[in-house]
Amino acid sequence: MKNSTFFNFLFLLIYKHKSKHIAISLISVLIVFLISSVLFMSSSIQKELFSTLDAQSDFVVQKMNQGRITNIPNSWIEDFSQINGVKNVQQRVYGQYYFQPSKKYFTIVGVDLFEENINKNIKKLLSKLNISDFLEKDSMIIGNGVKKQFDKFYYSDNYSFKLSNRELKKVLIFKDLPKASNLIANDLIIMDISLAKEILNINEDESSDIILNVPNELERPNVKVELILKHLDIRVIQKEDIKKAYENLYNYKGGIFLILFIIVMITFVLILYQRYTMISSSDKKEIGILKAVGWSIKDIIKLKIFETFIVAFLAFLIGIIFAYIFVFILDAPFLSNIFLGFHNLENNVSFIPNISFSSIVTLFIFFIIPFISAVLIPVWKIAVIDAQESMK
Amino acid sequence: MIKVNKLNKVFNQNTKKEFHALKNINIQIKTSSCVILKGVSGSGKSTLLSILGTLSKPSSGDIIVNEDSIAKLPDLHASAFRAKNLGFIFQSYNLFNELDVSENVSIPLIPLGFTKKQINEKVEIALNLANIKHKENETVLNLSGGEKQRVAIARALVNNPDIILCDEPTANLDTNNSLKFIDVMKKLKALKKTIIIATHDPIFDNLDFVDDIINIKNGEILE
Repeated sequence: MKNSTFFNFLFLLIYKHKSKHIAISLISVLIVFLISSVLFMSSSIQKELFSTLDAQSDFVVQKMNQGRITNIPNSWIEDFSQINGVKNVQQRVYGQYYFQPSKKYFTIVGVDLFEENINKNIKKLLSKLNISDFLEKDSMIIGNGVKKQFDKFYYSDNYSFKLSNRELKKVLIFKDLPKASNLIANDLIIMDISLAKEILNINEDESSDIILNVPNELERPNVKVELILKHLDIRVIQKEDIKKAYENLYNYKGGIFLILFIIVMITFVLILYQRYTMISSSDKKEIGILKAVGWSIKDIIKLKIFETFIVAFLAFLIGIIFAYIFVFILDAPFLSNIFLGFHNLENNVSFIPNISFSSIVTLFIFFIIPFISAVLIPVWKIAVIDAQESMK
Repeated sequence: MIKVNKLNKVFNQNTKKEFHALKNINIQIKTSSCVILKGVSGSGKSTLLSILGTLSKPSSGDIIVNEDSIAKLPDLHASAFRAKNLGFIFQSYNLFNELDVSENVSIPLIPLGFTKKQINEKVEIALNLANIKHKENETVLNLSGGEKQRVAIARALVNNPDIILCDEPTANLDTNNSLKFIDVMKKLKALKKTIIIATHDPIFDNLDFVDDIINIKNGEILE
């Protein structure tokens, strides 16, 4: 069979039968669109969270008092620094601030701008900051979610925080963070460490927790024990544990979506199979005519494989393109809230393109093979019966 | 020469609905002859035609075409035989209504490995022979019954087969178009084609180019 004439006929047939393919194609596009949207969102969020996590220190040490986290004395920084293998021991200042007008919580992070080993993510967020201007007056940099809340109540230039002594502390809004940082910084207020301590009512010689690095992975279990031995009333959180918690969360969410995907695929294949088992008399006749004029079963199956493959592939491609536009250009309206959830500030996350090629290939295989099988099995059943019967 | 030996066709064999469509058929059709298989509906003439055309297989017996047995050819060989040697014309035309005339006529040539240019040449010859060239770009859906029949004829002729099989070709045509069909058959006979027409239309009685009329009743040939 000359391929060019075969493909001419194939494309002609697909074009002429376009109305026959529209319903199945639309359902296919919708399924691929939904599944790949979830895949795109999930891989983007996962990458963002893991890269955020990678920038974190190896250990976080919190002081506990009767089961609750309390401020930790800065003098312990020296204690921890004495442990062999420990590097970059730093205080960290952060806390929640209740924004009464909209009954929302913001996260205040205090940053020591002169500290060399500042967190990589914070460093990235503050990369173009003019430090002298920023420190000249009490200033803050705010995330998008915070900005929205401030704008809502006309705090466009500054906001006066309530201190524990009932006084007000006026802080200038220096700038807001780019939307691309929303996933990690939507509810964030970044300010100088001393100012943050004042607003969060943390003593000058205390901090929220202490972070430290242990470059040698093999040393980490020993360091963890030594940290606890130094001060018994502490909780030591290892980065690996947080990573595992994230992985569990995403595997759990991914598992739910995988089950949904399997259910959707099975339903779709059943619909397809049903559709082609109840193959219309015109489809039957078409197969009968081709047989009568000299086409073999092999030729007919080849035609149907290509016809189905092209329809399925186009539907897949359109679904993927729509999903890409929906997630990475339109930022997945509606779906992002279902996937991410929000209990405090509504987060308009910008998804940064991170497409796993293997996921796309897996999705393609799990979509195309059942699709083609569901069509071909009934077609083959028709093709093997007498042409005279098919044409009736 | 087409030889049919002790041919039987039984539907739903060994069931309560068992039905003998053809019973011990023995006929010989000479090359380049025109034969009419005549009989009322349900007499078995269309079944015989479909077995002659390898569209269905007999329950027993044999068909020899030019010394080759074709009765129980596997699909691949049967389709190759049809593509090379046979042209079918059906009562209900069996065309692709969404395609145009040329596209319909070219379909039998697609699996045969011809180039686009060769296909176009062969299609043009067949369209001229069936007198439908002037409608080559018309969608079949927009054609009259007579025109559709001529498209079906062109499609049957496009691979230049030796044998033309027609199943009730005039059943959906008026007298005028039936006569036109007969004219085309006459032309094909002159081109040394073997023509077998299954029909119950009396218009085929007493035609000068018909060599033999075989009467079939209840699956048996009437002597």
